[in-house]
Amino acid sequence: MAFRNVNRKRHIGLQQLSSLASIGRTLLGPTKLYKFIIDVSTCESVLACSAVRLLESLDLTSAVGQLLNDTIQAQNKEYKTGMTTLLFLVGAWSSAVLECLQQNIPLPVIVSVMSEGLNSCSEKVHCLQLSVHDLYKGPTSVPIYFSSSSQGPQIIENKASIGSNHFRNPLVHVCEEVPVFKEEGVPEVPHSHQVSWWDPHNRCLNSYLCTTDYRIPTSVESADNKTMPAVPGSRLIASSINKRTRLTHSRYFNTLEEKHSLHEDDNFGGPPNRSAACPSKCNDFGHLAVALSHGNQSSMKLVQDIVRCQQQVADHTGTFQFNIAEVVTCCLPGLSETDSCVCPGYVTLVSSEKATVIRQLQDHQLQILLVDGDLTEKYRHLGFNGPSNVQIISENVDLQKSSSGSLWLNCVLDILIQSKVNLILVKGNVCEILMERCILNNILIINPVSLNVLHAFGEVTGVQLVTYLSQVNSHCVGRGVWLDFWRTGDLSKIELDNKVLISIKAEGIHLVTVVLGSTVSSKMQVTEDQFWACAYRLHHALTDQKVFPGGGAVELWCLSHLQKLEEQSLKQADKNPSGEFDMSSPLLSTSLTQYKPVVLKALANGWHQYLSRVMFNTANYASEFEASISIKHHLKKIADCGCPSAYILREFNKGDKAMADCDFSNEHEAVKICDNVTPKVEAWRRALDLVLLVLQTDAEIITGPKRNQLLNSPGSSEFVFL
Amino acid sequence: MSRIEAKKPSLCTSEPLTKEVVSYSLSVLSGILKSCYGPTGRLKQLHNGMGGYVRTTSQSSVLLGGLSITHPVLKVLTASVQNHISRFSDCGLFTAILCCSLVENFQKINFAACTVTKISRHLLSLCIDYLKSEACVCRIAVDFDSIKTLLSLVHSVLASKPACMLNKTETNHISTLVLKAFLLTIPHTVETNVVLGRCVIVPVKDKRVMDSTVFPGLLIEVPAFQLARTFPIKRISSSTIKMALFCISMSGDISNTGEGTVIVHHGISLEVAVLDQLLSLGKQLVNDQVGLVVCQKVIHPSLKVYLKEHHVITIDRIGVSMMEPLSQMTGSQPIASLHSLSPTYYGSLKDLRTESFGSKHFLHLIPSDTLVCSLILCNRNEMAWDELKVACQTAEHVLQLTIKQPLALLGGGCTETHLASYIRHKSFTLPTSALKAIDCSWTQYQLVADAFCHSLECVARCLEHDDCEILTDTVYGHFWSVQSEFPSDCNWSDLVLKCGCGIYSKQQNLNWRVLQSQCTPFTPQSCSNESFVNSTDHLVLDCFTAKCSGLQVAVETANLILDLSYIVEDQN
Repeated sequence: MAFRNVNRKRHIGLQQLSSLASIGRTLLGPTKLYKFIIDVSTCESVLACSAVRLLESLDLTSAVGQLLNDTIQAQNKEYKTGMTTLLFLVGAWSSAVLECLQQNIPLPVIVSVMSEGLNSCSEKVHCLQLSVHDLYKGPTSVPIYFSSSSQGPQIIENKASIGSNHFRNPLVHVCEEVPVFKEEGVPEVPHSHQVSWWDPHNRCLNSYLCTTDYRIPTSVESADNKTMPAVPGSRLIASSINKRTRLTHSRYFNTLEEKHSLHEDDNFGGPPNRSAACPSKCNDFGHLAVALSHGNQSSMKLVQDIVRCQQQVADHTGTFQFNIAEVVTCCLPGLSETDSCVCPGYVTLVSSEKATVIRQLQDHQLQILLVDGDLTEKYRHLGFNGPSNVQIISENVDLQKSSSGSLWLNCVLDILIQSKVNLILVKGNVCEILMERCILNNILIINPVSLNVLHAFGEVTGVQLVTYLSQVNSHCVGRGVWLDFWRTGDLSKIELDNKVLISIKAEGIHLVTVVLGSTVSSKMQVTEDQFWACAYRLHHALTDQKVFPGGGAVELWCLSHLQKLEEQSLKQADKNPSGEFDMSSPLLSTSLTQYKPVVLKALANGWHQYLSRVMFNTANYASEFEASISIKHHLKKIADCGCPSAYILREFNKGDKAMADCDFSNEHEAVKICDNVTPKVEAWRRALDLVLLVLQTDAEIITGPKRNQLLNSPGSSEFVFL
Repeated sequence: MSRIEAKKPSLCTSEPLTKEVVSYSLSVLSGILKSCYGPTGRLKQLHNGMGGYVRTTSQSSVLLGGLSITHPVLKVLTASVQNHISRFSDCGLFTAILCCSLVENFQKINFAACTVTKISRHLLSLCIDYLKSEACVCRIAVDFDSIKTLLSLVHSVLASKPACMLNKTETNHISTLVLKAFLLTIPHTVETNVVLGRCVIVPVKDKRVMDSTVFPGLLIEVPAFQLARTFPIKRISSSTIKMALFCISMSGDISNTGEGTVIVHHGISLEVAVLDQLLSLGKQLVNDQVGLVVCQKVIHPSLKVYLKEHHVITIDRIGVSMMEPLSQMTGSQPIASLHSLSPTYYGSLKDLRTESFGSKHFLHLIPSDTLVCSLILCNRNEMAWDELKVACQTAEHVLQLTIKQPLALLGGGCTETHLASYIRHKSFTLPTSALKAIDCSWTQYQLVADAFCHSLECVARCLEHDDCEILTDTVYGHFWSVQSEFPSDCNWSDLVLKCGCGIYSKQQNLNWRVLQSQCTPFTPQSCSNESFVNSTDHLVLDCFTAKCSGLQVAVETANLILDLSYIVEDQN
């Protein structure tokens, strides 16, 4: 066992943390700089554009590096967004803590003040939340909740301190002010559905749902319309094509032809699960989506298309949710990025040997079988342990000629032919010979297919998954599935690496495939990550039913809040020694009052750095210094104004470029940027937790065989060996 | 060709404690343990240096389990502490630090080991007798009518584990949940033989701590797809669902074929035979109106489909740890055979529901008489979750020990300093008859007693890791801490606020002195004036049983280590 002490004043762990995190600085904000990570020994390189990929590709052997990676991965696993924020704040706060250590501030004081400070911020920052419903309505209608009701900072604090649940629902406020939604001036367009209903407030709202219900004939459309032959009866395909072409001309989803009216639905706060509960039929996410795109509009457009797609299916089935679990991606390196699109059903690459079968099957309604396992003779389900000591003997010589392999093959083929199956989706491997024999029999086998795809088809066709083909009976064979080659806008079939793209659809299937293209194949991963980031941002916004005003507004508010706490603690220093920061150890209350303002300032410094870096990265400022001055300017104005949240929301509504807002919008429409609530607050907490964890660590204990290696290494003097 | 190597002779080391390497290793180990102690204890990163999992911890159970100690003397120490932890969960660091300090301090006085042993045993019995007597003023009775003391106990356990990364609200939330879960495991009717139920910790990692919650009954995680298609559950009556619990594999494999070879004729498939047997078992289950089949291991997919078609819910791969609570809760006996199904094996449930928790989905098994509950424990990452889990288990164990002996000791270093004052006083006034009985001189006794008290105070001192001075008062003998850089003309009563356990606030009539400084012995008292006793805030409390045992283990182990005269190592 080797044991290393970490020097207190120059805490090695924190230094490592701060230098590791500093590599992610340029990834912050909407304009990211790519990074090449090159392995010197193998000359392989990776292109990384997010904190997760960056850390994944680095060789993090140190304990602190691993902890950092674990923290980032945990955030990624739960939220899929906020990792870069986390990484940056880890760096900023660890250097802030190092400065505190330099000033001889006792460690428990740093830990307690910092965590209480962050706590106070994340509890009270909820007063900035915007309800997603407001954002449906477009940029002009985001209300300033406190402009009418705020009498000063105290009142806001009282309100917020009751807890976010008791916080007044801004939606109600909006409804009172804007009673009729027809104000929006929805142009009369040809539409197929007109839905009206009564809302809880007894107001009749009209909805113009633009489900492009075009009946596309089987034949090829005129070239300028850029459609393709479609399977008869498949409305879904038609509309998705229509949408795709439209999107090349339109900036936003809600262009004139598809301005959707909206309605509020008080039906939120449902159980949070994988599928974000959307207000039913409320489908114009245009402004919300743009606000959450964070400079990635092409990806966000795909997400909007998914919403549209799922909405259309929901129109038939009744319930609509933005269900991120029923979205899969299909990455096509080499394909142009403009060909990226959203297709209902399942799109995948299959080897071109199967093209003949596909051609045979493409205009027919198919019978489908879903196999949750391998299609090989030797395959057994998980947990099955075959005995090793069984010997099979035979008295008949003839029988032994036909090997058990071909026996199994014939048996399996018989089952497939008898049950008239045309298409088999298999989760695992498939025996090569079986695959060939099936092709001869006009049966297409596709593998590997992920479990959620299998279940999506299972659900829509109402059949059960089978593990073995011997289980097949009439309950296991689904009907109503269609197969086709997938084509780009100009009708060309896609062939990549001797593989063809096919799409499989079923009437009413919820599954949506996002076909992602990237002309630069090394950017493929980045493109996919960016798509998922957008999808999850929308998912979280809908799950939370609220968003933060983005572009640094929240961080700015936190800065002003910390400033206020700092002033309070300076005043309190004479009067009440413990204040709101109650200490477990009585000793510390004295040093607490002494150091509290300094530590709070250090915490604020982290956010200040973050904010100025974001502002600098968005290229509105020539230097971080200039950005920092601008932040100070804002803080001063906030202090003068007296009510931080009102000030910030006002600036947000103005679309003030002086804030870290950045200019993606066109000239006429200032686009608001929004951030997720829970992922952001959680990223802060995780970042600070990691810094404080490393801060409180004073020794590294290395066990196992590494000991001898360390004993002989030049750095062995640092270690104590037991 | 075989090579015969001569056996190496065994290595014998005499007087191991006098060797520099041993005392050095011992001081390093005690340094590691001391720095971990208490709510502001420093954390340790345990890893293998080769990219393995990094565990950040300050808990003795994890730390001692992770250290790879080779030296026999250190092994004696860690083994007895680990044994203490396995029995009591709590007070592991206290035991280890006290043992290290005792060894160090006894070595300094350099007496014959037997003398030290005799005197320290006597001192130990003084301590234990005092702690167990009614006269003891550093313990309080636990009142089960209110949850305040119990909550303090749990809170103290959780607050002393900084690697859980809980803030104040979160600590309170988890304390309440642990206590709630514990109360659910207590039977409503008390008979002669009280058996506590079980609390099963269900991991939900990467979520917020505040999302943690307690459910009566058991939660078993199932894949989301399984929940997607639920069907009406088959019930015997409106509040009874019959269930069968299997502890053997139902995957259809042919196990236990024994040694040798099984010869099977061509055309006969063993697998098909077993599957047929499984299906006929399924038929019987359906006939017996079983609504839920749970298997510890895997259920064959064909059997699953068969049961599903007959509206029987199946849950498989629940693992061995769930078997006992499940069987306890439902009254079902684990079935270990595929042949004989007796109706007596079946158990029953009141209801079955589904719960979703973040991305995880659970079947909620609700028994009619619940003594089993599930604590859904969330924490932001794997490492912090692991640490929190151990802390919660410790807290639960502490509550179980407290229900057996409803006493708690004042924590935060107060019991240690109080006990040291008591022993100083007792040894000073020891009658000569007692000295004769243990056959030692008064001076010898005083020196050993001093080392003993010094060690106790040393443990208390380890609670503070930052620049501060530890004081003790001369009335109660409690633990008080002040910042070290105080002005020389300053009055101590201006600096102190509360004692370590939080029971006393500062009073004018108190005198303080620096801990471990020379003083005249005094009898520590309890407070007569109620107004100084804190009754609103949480006290810091320790588990009585665990601390008493820790004290005994530490003294006995220290005696054993001091008594070591030879180490014989087999070098082959």
